[in-house]
Amino acid sequence: MSVRAVRASRAATRYAILTVVSAVLLAPLVFMVSIALSSDQTTREMSFRFLPTEFEFGNFVRAFTADIPIGRFLLNSTVIVVVSCVGMTLSSALVAYGFARLRAPGKNVLFGVLLSTMMIPAEVLLIPQFILFRHLGWIDTLLPIIVPNFFANAYNVFLIRQFITRIPAELDEAAMLDGLGHFGLFRRIIMPLMKPVLVAVAIFTFTFNWGYFFGPLIYLNSEEKMPLALGIQVLSATSSGAQTPPWNMVMVGALILILPMVAVYYFGQKYLYEAGVVSGSAGLK
Amino acid sequence: MSPWLLGFVVFTAVPMLASLWLSFTDWDSFSTPTFVGLANYTQLFTEDPLFWPALRHTLYFAVASVPLSLLIALALANLLSRPMPGARFFRTVVYLPALVPLVASAMIFRWLLAPETGPVNGFLSWFGIDGPAWLLDEDWVIPAIVLLSLWQVGAGTILLIAALQSVPPELYEAARLDGAGGTQRFWRISVPLVTPVLFFNLITGMIAAFQVFSQVYVLTDGKSGPSNASLMLVPYVYDNAFRFYHMGYASALAWVLFLIIMIFSAGILRSSRAWVFYESEVRS
Repeated sequence: MSVRAVRASRAATRYAILTVVSAVLLAPLVFMVSIALSSDQTTREMSFRFLPTEFEFGNFVRAFTADIPIGRFLLNSTVIVVVSCVGMTLSSALVAYGFARLRAPGKNVLFGVLLSTMMIPAEVLLIPQFILFRHLGWIDTLLPIIVPNFFANAYNVFLIRQFITRIPAELDEAAMLDGLGHFGLFRRIIMPLMKPVLVAVAIFTFTFNWGYFFGPLIYLNSEEKMPLALGIQVLSATSSGAQTPPWNMVMVGALILILPMVAVYYFGQKYLYEAGVVSGSAGLK
Repeated sequence: MSPWLLGFVVFTAVPMLASLWLSFTDWDSFSTPTFVGLANYTQLFTEDPLFWPALRHTLYFAVASVPLSLLIALALANLLSRPMPGARFFRTVVYLPALVPLVASAMIFRWLLAPETGPVNGFLSWFGIDGPAWLLDEDWVIPAIVLLSLWQVGAGTILLIAALQSVPPELYEAARLDGAGGTQRFWRISVPLVTPVLFFNLITGMIAAFQVFSQVYVLTDGKSGPSNASLMLVPYVYDNAFRFYHMGYASALAWVLFLIIMIFSAGILRSSRAWVFYESEVRS
């Protein structure tokens, strides 16, 4: 065989493998769409098909009407995610600025403590935090899920700090000479320059809170306060033996849960690359 | 720094000490805690019929899913890192499942793996294979959770693609001139140069595997599978704390889990000196 023929057959093999892999990876999503588009009759009989044969697009409209509270779940998720993103981005940026630019005794020790908190598993903190929130009367409210986001987090602070240290310090001095204090400097000079990394932090916060299941499971009892991730699980599990869960609506909910993630990644990946979090050693999840 | 410092004290430092103290008490979360010394820990290791199975299942899941995910991610990254038409499309498809929140993906897998009506067993029956009952079968419930984790290898794959693309092309060229074939170039150049990312994926994947919760909870409907066959450590902590209200016992469990994760992390870290290759070591 000539070199060209070998190359061509290798390329063909590569495409064949990738096509099979892609089909396998996409299959679960196809099946999910198929269930989401099934009629109530099919759902009761649980006779779903792998490829969609029914097209009840009305299911997506019903998600926002009264009979199944998916619209309510979605609203709760949106509130949690928007407020958390604002809180996490602002607080992490402030803390990171402090660690990058302020001089204070014990700063390096504190930074070490901050980094070591990344290793503490959430389970160890779970029970005392639960007790704390119960004492505050926050059980069955969105507060235990939202408020901790306003106190920065080690991973994000580290990420932003690394980014700030790449901004030349002469810029600070010039701004200081022009009469800006630390706060003015932070708001007028550093913040605008940090846009890519701040968007990256917002994306992480969005991703985490949008799919967050454990916290809401522990802190929320009433259905009308649940975010979508917990709500669809409850929707599929609470119905008693005699009654089949509304699987088509559950999958509509799951699809609504997936779409914003895909959109955020699609529009946000540019910033992730700019902030250097994709190619660096930092993970996406 | 102060917002973090305040948050650290309120949400991390004090809870950590509190949880350590609670692990030495017997507490139903309503009355006052009574100090019981090491009783929770002794009960855990010697009397509890579920602790050892929970630990065994967690280890089984971690040992099966983490290396398999790494191998698949590496293979996919190797296929996808070269420039070729359609690369963007394939990379998106591979990454897409990793974007699906765990709850949603677990719901889909419940249906994919349904014994009678699920497409997976339907597919197997084309080849005359009688598929297992998956989530209802003691021997297959953990492999089912592993399958779900393999579906989401995309995040690790993306990092490896980035790492493979930053390997200097001169190295491959030099190896080619020395007569190294494609397989040799992969194992002798690509793999050693991406070991830092493999190491990162290994350690974060291992920690995540030990903390698996949402997928188990949703796949097995909040229970722990047939005859507790998929009971794992974090769901067990959850059960003890929020279903049985054994807060002290659950705290002890959480600390044991923490120590196990620390031991495994330290082990991987130690071993990394032997196999993780940093370019800076060569340059200096």
